[in-house]
Amino acid sequence: MITAKGLYKRYRKTVAVDHLSFDVRPGVVTGFLGPNGSGKSTTMRLMLGLDHGEGETLFDGKRFGTIRRPINEVGALLEAKPFHPTRSARNHLRMLAAGNRIPDRRVDEVMEFVGLGDVKRKKPKGYSLGMAQRLGLAQALLGDPRILLLDEPTNGLDPHGIHWMRDVLKTLAAEGRTIFVSSHLLSEMQLMADELVVIGRGTMIFNGDVDTFVREFTQSQVVVRGPDTAGFTAALEAEGGEVKAEDGALVVSGLEIGKVGHLAFTTGVELHELSTRRASLEEAFMSATGASEEFVAKEPVRAGGPAAPEGEAL
Amino acid sequence: MLDALRFEWTRLLTLRSTYWLIGMGLLVTTGVAVLLGVAGRNDPISTEVLWIALNGAAGFGLPFLAVFMAIIGIFACGHEYRHGTIQPTLTSLPQRNRLILAKLAVVLTTTLAVTIVQMAINLGVVYVVWGEAPGLFEDPLGTALIGYVLYVLLYVLVGFGLGLLFRGVPSALVVIFLMPLIIENMIFGLSNIPQLDWLVPVVKFLPFTDGARLMELAAPDFGPGAPDFDLFSRWASGGVFALFAALILSAAWILFKKRDA
Ligand SMILES: Nc1ncnc2c1ncn2[C@@H]1O[C@H](COP(=O)(O)OP(=O)(O)O)[C@@H](O)[C@H]1O
Ligand SMILES: [Mg+2]
Repeated sequence: MITAKGLYKRYRKTVAVDHLSFDVRPGVVTGFLGPNGSGKSTTMRLMLGLDHGEGETLFDGKRFGTIRRPINEVGALLEAKPFHPTRSARNHLRMLAAGNRIPDRRVDEVMEFVGLGDVKRKKPKGYSLGMAQRLGLAQALLGDPRILLLDEPTNGLDPHGIHWMRDVLKTLAAEGRTIFVSSHLLSEMQLMADELVVIGRGTMIFNGDVDTFVREFTQSQVVVRGPDTAGFTAALEAEGGEVKAEDGALVVSGLEIGKVGHLAFTTGVELHELSTRRASLEEAFMSATGASEEFVAKEPVRAGGPAAPEGEAL
Repeated sequence: MLDALRFEWTRLLTLRSTYWLIGMGLLVTTGVAVLLGVAGRNDPISTEVLWIALNGAAGFGLPFLAVFMAIIGIFACGHEYRHGTIQPTLTSLPQRNRLILAKLAVVLTTTLAVTIVQMAINLGVVYVVWGEAPGLFEDPLGTALIGYVLYVLLYVLVGFGLGLLFRGVPSALVVIFLMPLIIENMIFGLSNIPQLDWLVPVVKFLPFTDGARLMELAAPDFGPGAPDFDLFSRWASGGVFALFAALILSAAWILFKKRDA
């Protein structure tokens, strides 16, 4: 169980983490989702006392700095390649193990577990990013901890590796561990996580289960196709619908599919298609975090077109 | 604290650079003793020759062993930042004071041991060539050799502090090697120019120059016509160098506690 209260961190000008509070429960994978630069890494560093800021994080009731031999209780993988390039992978883990009274036998065990058994005496310098992430997971699992904090652990993994990482995390959660894993990809989180903490620009956007998030932030639209729908737009808009033309079809948002069908019937419009379409997950994610995106690319301005309102980056 | 010591010891022993830096240090200093032996084997050994043979030319202003050990000192914290290992280190040993204490203990103990081994090897060379080491435990030489050990330890401490202060390796290397070589020599040289005689009182506070006086056989004599630098005694000079090391280390330590990892 992780309890974070009032986490706050500002760098000179930017507030990277703005009063975040959340709980991470054992037994499930909790995804920590947000676009790049939204403050995920900073939050995790704050939680572990690596960065100094405000707020408090308790791991099974204890602050990180007060835990004796902490890697036996909280495992962490933060940066992408935190290894000395010429110290063998096995020696890197032996070094951390030595500081927490973990026998070398356990080092070999975790290296086998993450699939690096054959290259454990090799130097991380020669590791691919995917292998480095596996070594990072081995490091996090070294003390067989009840709690895991992983910052974008699937970065650099191939699809097979991502699948493997997902299974590992799910299995660990099923054993009753507390798993907090960050990502900037909703599609990935949807496959991996049960619960979500979603942030944008350091502030909380959503905290709850994945399906609720998808439902809440996914607008469904109605697609209408017919031989002559030109006159239908006005009728739809009169009922409060928002209509866009899209290669020969009308895409209606803000109206139920039944309502659109009824309108077609009462106005006598012939239809060849009447269907619902869900916005993709990534679109949902964009709409949820869009206003809080750190770096917003300006819309391309059409030459000669009417001057668009300035796309103010918030 | 034992956990932190165990960690730091493993860290030091799993780096190849530890072995080749100590190896190079011992090789070069032994080479100095051997060269002196080859050149002077037909003459009886003088106190000066014995002194240079035992400190591996450090008395000449070439403190080889101190330089190699100081690099190990810089690496103690500098490597952690250069390669990002400070993050796993602090997530396995979050008590920052304990970590620094352990690092200091390990690097200084190693330095002390290596320095004593180095002097023993060089004494062996002296015995093979001359069969004697006169005045080894008597005042000027014995004291100068104790001063040599202290000098190496303090020099390594400065390196350690700089590595932690700059959170990296290259800048610390530049400061520790260029400061004594360029800045202190320049101030010393310029102070001999009459127009710049206001530099004269500064000379006795130059930390690395003062530190080197710990291992001197006799107080320096700059000859007639040199300005009166009003230099400190051996131990007071050593005190200036120790103070310099302490200042760098305290600044680095305070910042290490305050800054984000
Ligand atoms: N050391 C730092 N100094 C200044 N600003 C930083 C630092 N680390 C992160 N930031 C800023 O804080 C914000 C959050 O960054 P980060 O936590 O890395 O986001 P994420 O991990 O979600 O991509 C960004 O605006 C980033 O530029
Ligand atoms: Mg990040």
